[in-house]
This record gives sequence, C-alpha cells and structure tokens, in this order.
Amino acid sequence: MGVRIAARTRLDFWYDAVLFLGFTLAYSYGFTGIGIHEWLGLGLGLALLIHLTLHWDWVIRTTRKLVRPRGHDKLIWLVNLALLVAMTLCILSGILISRVALPYLGISLTGIGPFWSALHTTTAEVTLGLVPVHVALRWRWIVRIGRRLLAWRPR
Amino acid sequence: MRFLRHLAVVVLLVAVVVAGGLAWGHFVPGPLPDRGPGGLGQLVVRGRAVRRLPSGARIPAGLHVNSGPENLGLTSMFQAVNLPVLRDTVEIEAGVVVGVVIIEIGHRRWRRARRASRLAATPAPPPGTIT
Repeated sequence: MGVRIAARTRLDFWYDAVLFLGFTLAYSYGFTGIGIHEWLGLGLGLALLIHLTLHWDWVIRTTRKLVRPRGHDKLIWLVNLALLVAMTLCILSGILISRVALPYLGISLTGIGPFWSALHTTTAEVTLGLVPVHVALRWRWIVRIGRRLLAWRPR
Repeated sequence: MRFLRHLAVVVLLVAVVVAGGLAWGHFVPGPLPDRGPGGLGQLVVRGRAVRRLPSGARIPAGLHVNSGPENLGLTSMFQAVNLPVLRDTVEIEAGVVVGVVIIEIGHRRWRRARRASRLAATPAPPPGTIT
C-alpha cells in the first residue's frame, strides 16, 4: 500500500519542523552570535504570522468549542494563546533592543530603557518553556506523520 | 483570498498584543528583573553553558564571548566552542517534550481506566432493550 499524505499535511509538518529548528537556534544566542540571532528572530516573526494564518481555522473551531467540557483542546488553546503573547512580546522587545538588524536597516531607536531588555529575556525564557509543550501536545500527530513521511519505501 | 483574509486577522491580533506590550512598557515599565545588557547571552565555561562566569573563573585569552554591550559577536557565529549553548537549549526542549508526553500518556491511561470502571459498574440493559 502506498503512503499518501496530503500536500497540506506535508507542508505543515516540514514548515513546523523548520520553525522549531529556527527557534532553537535563535534562542541559542551564545552559539549563533547576535547578528544571526536578530535576523533569525525577525524571520521567525514573519514565519509565525504565516504559521498562525495556516492554522487559523483550528483557532476559530477550537475557540467556538471552548465552552464544551472536554479538556485537551482547551489546554492546547491556552498554551497557544500564552505562546502567541510571549512570542509577540519577545520579538517586539527584540526589535526595540536590536543592535545589528535595525541599525543595518537604517533605523535607530532612542530612549529604549532596560525594561525591554528584561522583557526580552523573560519572554524568551517563557517561550522556551512553552514551545516544547506546544510541540509535545501534538506528539501523536508528529509521530504518525513523521513515520509516514520518513518511511523508507522500496521502489 | 481566504489566506489573505486570515492573514489580515492574524496581523490585527498580533497588533493588539504589540499595542498592549508598548502600553505596558510606556505606563508601567516594571517589575521585571533587569539582568543586564547581556540578555540571553550565555557563556561556555568548561564545556557547560552558563549565564554568568563563576567567581574566580577567567575567560581565556583569544576566546570570543557573544554577550556584553561591546562585543556584537559578528565574528563568532557558529563556533564549535559555543556548541554547549545550543546543547543546553536542546536539552531543555527535550526535557519538556519528554515530560509532557509522559504526563499525556499517563493522563490518557487514567481516563481510559476510569471510563472502563464506570462502564463495568453500569448494569447492562436487559436483552432486547433498545437504547
């Protein structure tokens, strides 16, 4: 029996895998250096907008079902909401305290206090906690699709 | 078209969070602890990623450190010596993923067992009954 996976599922899997890898690299500031950290962070910001857009139907569907007693989707919804807020604030504060990317684009911000640096660190740590939770709550889907995508198929 | 419509809604939602963040920074810029300009910067000391140097430790001459206001780290991207920082991130992520998966499996098993015991406790309807 051939393994047929919808193009959309394939896109979701690989896109999310790249996002996860990108986030891991972007968080590892001490490894990448500030230049890659900042450009990767900006790229992640745009990629996350697309990610959320691709899953907007799920957001609407789950938000409508929030009043129902079943808990699993509710937990995922709450984690995703927290992640949206934490990541947005992390990227916003990262842009404001940027030392490479923004000056390169000819933008210089003044009057940026230590609050934004502290917010960036705090939201990055919250995000580091939430991203693996976000991934792990979908582990059955990841394993199922991953197995089918990566399965060795003799010709 | 549908994608663009959804994208517009998402951008609007993100704009609301951004506005909230900017308002927070403008009106109540506290009480987050400021950890200095290093921010997320981690150092590698004896093969381990750390947030700050232990007392008495010194950075060997010639080693670039990717944090601090003076060093933009542009010449020290992806250096093998800084790999422990990446390993540290991967270890945290893997730990959280494993923890959540174990909890999820445990919770599912507990729910199944509870459902099974509830079904076992319910008396079966007499034969021929339409439910």
